[in-house]
Amino acid sequence: MHIPDSFMPLSQALIYWAIALPFIFMSFRWARKDMDDMKIPILAALSAGIFAIQALNIPIGMGTSGHMVGAALVAIIFGSPFAGVLVLTLVLLVQGIVFADGGITVMGANILNMGVISGFVGYYSFVALRSKNIDIKISAFFGAWLGLFISSIATAIEMSIAGTFPLVPGLVAMGTFHFVIGIIGEGLITAIAIAAIAKARPDLVDSKITEDSKEALL
Amino acid sequence: MKLLYAGLAIALLISVLAPYLASSDPDGLESAAESVIDEERFAELEEADPAIDSPMPDYSIEGKGKLGEIVAISAGTIGILVISFGLAKVLKSNRSN
Repeated sequence: MHIPDSFMPLSQALIYWAIALPFIFMSFRWARKDMDDMKIPILAALSAGIFAIQALNIPIGMGTSGHMVGAALVAIIFGSPFAGVLVLTLVLLVQGIVFADGGITVMGANILNMGVISGFVGYYSFVALRSKNIDIKISAFFGAWLGLFISSIATAIEMSIAGTFPLVPGLVAMGTFHFVIGIIGEGLITAIAIAAIAKARPDLVDSKITEDSKEALL
Repeated sequence: MKLLYAGLAIALLISVLAPYLASSDPDGLESAAESVIDEERFAELEEADPAIDSPMPDYSIEGKGKLGEIVAISAGTIGILVISFGLAKVLKSNRSN
């Protein structure tokens, strides 16, 4: 879903930067508050893992492929959507500058879509499902799937405002492809990872997360 | 720190396998672009240069094939690890000042 520079006029790209920057700033504030010597290596390992898995495009049929984004996974593990924003910001920065994956001018939009939207939608859907006592794997699967799907819809709308995609066909195409990518690439991998981590380190992902975020929401 | 090594090991394993396993089909956005934009305009957008030149475009090193891709992705993985570790350390240590 990485938007290249040519897909958006500079003036609009700057607007998305202006929207993304406060979230990036708040993700730094989250790290300042939440990071400790135990969590720093976990954050670093997760960031590295997210970068690597984003390089692994999975075929989804229709001549299309997709990869995991990972913001929801990170947010669920750390109990904050800002953790997802922080990791995706770093990953997108390196992808854009070093590997020409996603443009530099449009990086604000990419951070907004993949970090903020998929992270927030994914995380709060997970929390909502968990608060209804739905199984942690199913909650993680659905949250991550919805996060990816909604961020693809947002991207389609941005592409239409940019004049690059026509609105309705753009929504249909982006929605269709990411409906499937979200199931395989995002939902399944997130659910498997959360289940594995919950088993190995229940202190990292368990009811505590949902309790904390309920408090944060109140 | 055990988690760091385990995470890094998994990440590096994926980095080495990715060049062999990753699909070369276009991603969701590119496929959408192909199907909703007319051909001429699509070619124009695809050929446009990015705003800056990247040292390893498309996760590869020119002329080095699969090995170059493994090196590029592994370098990115380790780079991200170092950057996120360093940033988290810096942000955290600021708190105690």
